[in-house]
Amino acid sequence: MGYILEGLGLNIVQALVLLAFAPLIAGIINKVKAFLQKRQGASVLQEYFDLRKWWKKPTILTPHTSVIFILAPVAYFVTSFLAASMVPGFLAGQVSISDAFVFVYILALGRFFMTLSSMDAATSFGGMGGSREIYISVLVEPAVMLAILINSLRYHSTTLSSMVIDYDGAYFTVSAALACVAFFLVILAENSRLPVDNPDTHLELTMIHEGMTLEYSGPLLTLIHLGSMLKIMVFLTLFGALYLPLAVPLAVKILFGAVLIGIVEILNNKMRLFKVRVYLGAAIVLLLLAIIAE
Amino acid sequence: MERMAHVDHVIAPEALLETAVRVYDGGRHPLTAMFGRDETAQGTGYAIYCYFEIPEKKDMQVVKAVFNPEGFLSYQSITHAIPAAAWYEREIHDMFGLVPEGHPDLRPLVLHESFPEGFYPLRKSVKVNAKVRGERKFKVRSAKGQGLFEVPVGPIHAGIIEPGHFRFSQAGEAMLQLDAKLFFTHRGIEKAVEGKTPEEALHIVERICGACSVSNTWSFCQAVEKVAGVSVPRRAEIIRTLLSELERIVNHVGDLGNMPAGVGFNPAISLGSRLKERLMRLCEAVAGNRFLRGVIVPGGVRQDITPELIEEIHSLMDATAEGVEDLATMFREQENFQNRVQTTGIIRHQTAVDLAMVGVGARASGYAHDSRSDFAFGVYPELDFQPYTKTMGDVAARLLVRIGELSASFEMVDKLLEMLRNCQGMPLHADMAYGAGEAWGICESPRGSNFHYVALDETGRIDRLFVRSASYPNWPALTIAVQGDIIPDFPLINKSFELCYACIDR
Repeated sequence: MGYILEGLGLNIVQALVLLAFAPLIAGIINKVKAFLQKRQGASVLQEYFDLRKWWKKPTILTPHTSVIFILAPVAYFVTSFLAASMVPGFLAGQVSISDAFVFVYILALGRFFMTLSSMDAATSFGGMGGSREIYISVLVEPAVMLAILINSLRYHSTTLSSMVIDYDGAYFTVSAALACVAFFLVILAENSRLPVDNPDTHLELTMIHEGMTLEYSGPLLTLIHLGSMLKIMVFLTLFGALYLPLAVPLAVKILFGAVLIGIVEILNNKMRLFKVRVYLGAAIVLLLLAIIAE
Repeated sequence: MERMAHVDHVIAPEALLETAVRVYDGGRHPLTAMFGRDETAQGTGYAIYCYFEIPEKKDMQVVKAVFNPEGFLSYQSITHAIPAAAWYEREIHDMFGLVPEGHPDLRPLVLHESFPEGFYPLRKSVKVNAKVRGERKFKVRSAKGQGLFEVPVGPIHAGIIEPGHFRFSQAGEAMLQLDAKLFFTHRGIEKAVEGKTPEEALHIVERICGACSVSNTWSFCQAVEKVAGVSVPRRAEIIRTLLSELERIVNHVGDLGNMPAGVGFNPAISLGSRLKERLMRLCEAVAGNRFLRGVIVPGGVRQDITPELIEEIHSLMDATAEGVEDLATMFREQENFQNRVQTTGIIRHQTAVDLAMVGVGARASGYAHDSRSDFAFGVYPELDFQPYTKTMGDVAARLLVRIGELSASFEMVDKLLEMLRNCQGMPLHADMAYGAGEAWGICESPRGSNFHYVALDETGRIDRLFVRSASYPNWPALTIAVQGDIIPDFPLINKSFELCYACIDR
């Protein structure tokens, strides 16, 4: 018990570090996209300014909402934070609570609260966003589980921190390459990026994740945005630590992942909503092949 | 001198349906416009004008039904026979109180809940500054059934656009029905210009819409010039045609850059905005403003195009043509984009004919309707113009029609510039003298044909102006195009038509 509590301090330190850099990574993705469109783009620090701006604004609640509406952003942020404390990051191997299944379902809990709140204000945009979010998460969840299963098979453990790539072993296998590609596809879908969702759009009718947040303002909106940025950070960390077979420091891998997201978002446009299942189906097939190869 | 000769059939209201159907000829002569006029001062009463296009004669046929203001103000609706009349009849009902019996949907169109019943603003008895307040019913349509729900959107939108309310009836993601409530910012321009001289009215007409200021001005001037019996000098006609093509190029390029915004295709959006901005700066060099306002006036044009400007236009057209080629390649090679635009938002050929659609929307459905070839105006007869059509009627077809028309426009601009070089120093303007009379003018705006009807009184002041811009007949088509598609595709379908609110809120 004492050992666990001792480790817990490290977990929290790591989550705080990831949190501090999450807006920077979001800013870098935006900068890459701007650069590829031959625009100057906003500063990479813009997301910090935006967060401060939203934090200072008042929260406006419609009289139709219940306590869920206030609870959900908090739950979303806390679950992202917990997930951030569990990924095998800069303190790889030392974080204590990092079970893969707990990780997946803590993120699912956050999503559950967000979809609840999307229906709470009883607006049609929120409801549509929530229903689409569930439709996508139903497909994302098995993909994430399969991705983790591959590493479990290899390292005979379900602890995330014990799955970190060891470069002395023969890592560069077919299985690893397939898993790497598939997991990147999953990152885009899970974090509402193109080609699955468009984070930059103002067109409510097309929104998925943004549709759920339309009724939020002020600090509650700040929590949701910060939670989303942290989630990208968590997934990029996981991608770097577990799936990206490059012998470079983790921070470089995260940056690489961010730039890659920017490039992919420029190369693609949003797909038809009902085509998302084909896209995620492809990711799942790749993962199944990876398991067979393993 | 009174010029009334252009009305072909003056009839009693009872004969309107029969006469209209005969002239319509099963859709071969589409209904261009239908509007009311208060002629009580002239001793005729209220009148309904129906303008039918006769492409083989490059002319219009006019049917005019005259109502005795003391008698019954109703007539047999022609909407069942000529579906394109649906909106016109509703508007006449709102504005003049003439009732189309048997109209399938006689809700208000222009006047919303804040107007009282029995208020008919375009009757001469209503003062232009009349202040009214009232309660009337305006029910937005929705489908009812188990598991169906409604999605209300607007009138205030997320982007910086004009107001319009859309009510989607949904079965999950599928759109069953769309009802659009428009005319939120109707400005009463047709009433406001009554009693003004054409020169005074010009400044208002020019500002009906930001996207087609050249077209609105040109149609208006054509009508006024016909009343005055003035013919426009050749150099002015060339400049007008050139401005009209420039306006089309600016708008088509802008629309091509705007359509990918519906699917988040960022590089295409950036390229489109870049090309459009350069073109708008060229417009500023030509006219002194980015919307090409202030050049076309009754009798000709106010400004010449200098030889330096001719070269500037020429070089930018070449650069833009290259940019459009890049954009087209981008669209063609992006498989994911093609997947979004193909088979989305289909308008069938018969629908386009029935609704008397115009412009890109019509031509993408294989309906070769283009004022530039259907009528003789400007110097188009010398340019050997052929309409560009596609047959699929989907978003992709509307995209391709715009690209095809752009290359035709680039060619025409080249020829027009050559014509300008050959007639340096020729007069730009003819003197205008107005008397009583009525006439119509038409030209092809970037969105389709733009029709104006002008009636002047003995003092040369406007008695009635009717403006039918290209968006008017195409708005109802949008609600048909979306049926069967899913709601996240609506912004894309909407952008492919690029309909204008201001044009109908005249």
